[in-house]
Amino acid sequence: MNNSEFAVRLTDVKKRYLLGKVEVDAIKGITLQIPIKKFNVIIGPSGSGKTTLLNLLGCIDIPSSGCVEVCGQDIARMTDEQASDFRAENIGFIFQNFNLIPVLSAYENVEYPLLLMKKPAKERRELTLKMLNDVGLSSHKHHRPNELSGGQRQRVAIARALVKGPKLVLADEPTANLDSKTGQSIIDLMFEMQAERHTTFIFSSHDHQIMKHAEKVFEIQDGLLMEEKER
Amino acid sequence: MKTLHIAFRNIFRNSRRSLMTILAIAVSSIAIHLFGGYVANIIYGMQSNYVRDNGHLQVYQEGFFDYGAGNPVAYGISRYQDLIHLITNDPQLKEHVVIATPILKFFGIAGNFKKDTSKTFFGIGYIPSDLKKMREWNDYAMQIRKSRLNRIVLADDDIDAGIIGEGMARMLLLCEELNVKNCKEKPQEKIEDKSAAKEDFSFLEETKGVNDPSEGIDKRPRLDLLAATAGGAPNIVTMYVNNTEIQGVKAIDDNYAAMNISLAQRLLYGKGEKKATGIVIQLRHTKDIPFAKVRLKQIFDEHKLDLEIKDYTLIVPMYRQVISFLFALFSFISTIMVIIVLFTIINTMTMSVMERVDEIGTIRALGLRRGGILRQFIAEGLVLGALGATLGTIASVMIATGINSSGIMWTPPNYVDPVPLKIMIFLNPFLSPGCWLGMVMLAVVSSIVPARKAGKMVIVDALRHV
Repeated sequence: MNNSEFAVRLTDVKKRYLLGKVEVDAIKGITLQIPIKKFNVIIGPSGSGKTTLLNLLGCIDIPSSGCVEVCGQDIARMTDEQASDFRAENIGFIFQNFNLIPVLSAYENVEYPLLLMKKPAKERRELTLKMLNDVGLSSHKHHRPNELSGGQRQRVAIARALVKGPKLVLADEPTANLDSKTGQSIIDLMFEMQAERHTTFIFSSHDHQIMKHAEKVFEIQDGLLMEEKER
Repeated sequence: MKTLHIAFRNIFRNSRRSLMTILAIAVSSIAIHLFGGYVANIIYGMQSNYVRDNGHLQVYQEGFFDYGAGNPVAYGISRYQDLIHLITNDPQLKEHVVIATPILKFFGIAGNFKKDTSKTFFGIGYIPSDLKKMREWNDYAMQIRKSRLNRIVLADDDIDAGIIGEGMARMLLLCEELNVKNCKEKPQEKIEDKSAAKEDFSFLEETKGVNDPSEGIDKRPRLDLLAATAGGAPNIVTMYVNNTEIQGVKAIDDNYAAMNISLAQRLLYGKGEKKATGIVIQLRHTKDIPFAKVRLKQIFDEHKLDLEIKDYTLIVPMYRQVISFLFALFSFISTIMVIIVLFTIINTMTMSVMERVDEIGTIRALGLRRGGILRQFIAEGLVLGALGATLGTIASVMIATGINSSGIMWTPPNYVDPVPLKIMIFLNPFLSPGCWLGMVMLAVVSSIVPARKAGKMVIVDALRHV
């Protein structure tokens, strides 16, 4: 595989941060390559460093040492503004707590990333409506997050992550706050979306059930890559 | 979206807190509006009063303003009618001038021989019809008291008539004859040797001669006025007192004697050339003063006239003092209001930032730049400020309308009679727009510190925040 076939390349990445007055080594030297257009899963127990790793991949944090390349860009070399623009163009986030903007309706939440990309109004409207339709929430487009169920909120979050056609979608334990049935439906939806759009998905979870959907699994423990499995 | 659109929704997330903030801004705005409107009413009211009595400008012989009080006769303006003609017929000035009229200011002694009493007085001679016209000036549409207009009790053809201050009437024992209210009877004087004074007054009375045809016919109270003429000799004329006119300052009220200018000229100049100590010029608008001064100076230079021009703020120093006092008071109140609003908005915006840490992390992760976060919170401050300032302005107008129609009376400084309490918010065209804009700017400035704090948040820390 050449470089362009990897969405992410990590070379001996370490991440140390302060927790109060204590220094914590969240990532202790990981080297990995995540292929494009695949449903990748990072699996590991709580505190293993999954979220820290996703933060690095999402360009919202920088490594203490080592190199993180996302879509061919070394994230440590980006300024804050460049990183913001890069995220706006290339990365979609799905959070554990949905993280929808409470004052915006489902439609407006999905439209928000397109506003950041300064897309014209007509294009925004078309893309937003299509995306809401794809996640099955056309009839709830005017609802605010507090008027939606947990599953519906996460669907809105998925739509928000995908609406701009990102190169990389990062989902940090997106089913952790959902019951098992709803969680399964969200996993099915994300898998379906990934299959349709061929977007690179990186999904973190401590749930081994998710592995049945994964095309590639990275298992990390105590800040180290323990296993890398192709399925 | 609309940054403003989102800001508008965000401020109503915690509607009670936002409402309290908006109310704090509105109350401050109301305080500034009402006090500003009250101050405007006093200032423009005072200006109107002064301009009605003293005109906008007065022209004197060079040196009169500084030294003329010591010897007004020496600073008389010769051929003042020609000067008035020059001013009122100047092509550039005549559009701006309502009236130009002579006045004669002097000092003398007034005696009421019937009651065997006398005192010094400050005399002013004017043309009654011109003063009546001047008192109609009302550029700011202020309420003019009818009593004030009706108090013009001199007529141009009543050449021996005059008006005196109530204090003067009291001291000259004319209260009863002039129907002065609340006039106490003068206590017995402790002067032991009155014969000398009586002899002096008798002498003066004799010098008057027989040039008083109304002697014994006119039933009005009579005063004999004594002053030094231009030649230095004492002269005396009879003034029939039509009425009293209370003056706002007791020292003036005790010494005030106004009269037809021809009577004053007869006293000061006898049969010599009749002069005036000043020319009062009333303009259509106060804002015309700078132009009028420049043009008058040109005219005087062209005609080699040795004259000086003083505006009403110099002639009536109290006007400037009152304005300075009110300005200081207004500034003090405004500063307190500004500090209250500043801390209220900083507190509200800081709370808002602290409550939305995870949201800030989310939208930063989605790709909003630091500047976008800064703009978002400043926009919220702007919306808070605009709502509070607008509410404050509307409420101020309503409260002012209520006060203005309530008929509450009060006596402003230097006034004689009570006047209705008026809050003239729109009399000063800068008050309301300035207050609105100031409140909005203040809200924006107050939001900058919390907004910067929000913009500087580390994304991963913000997302980790629960």
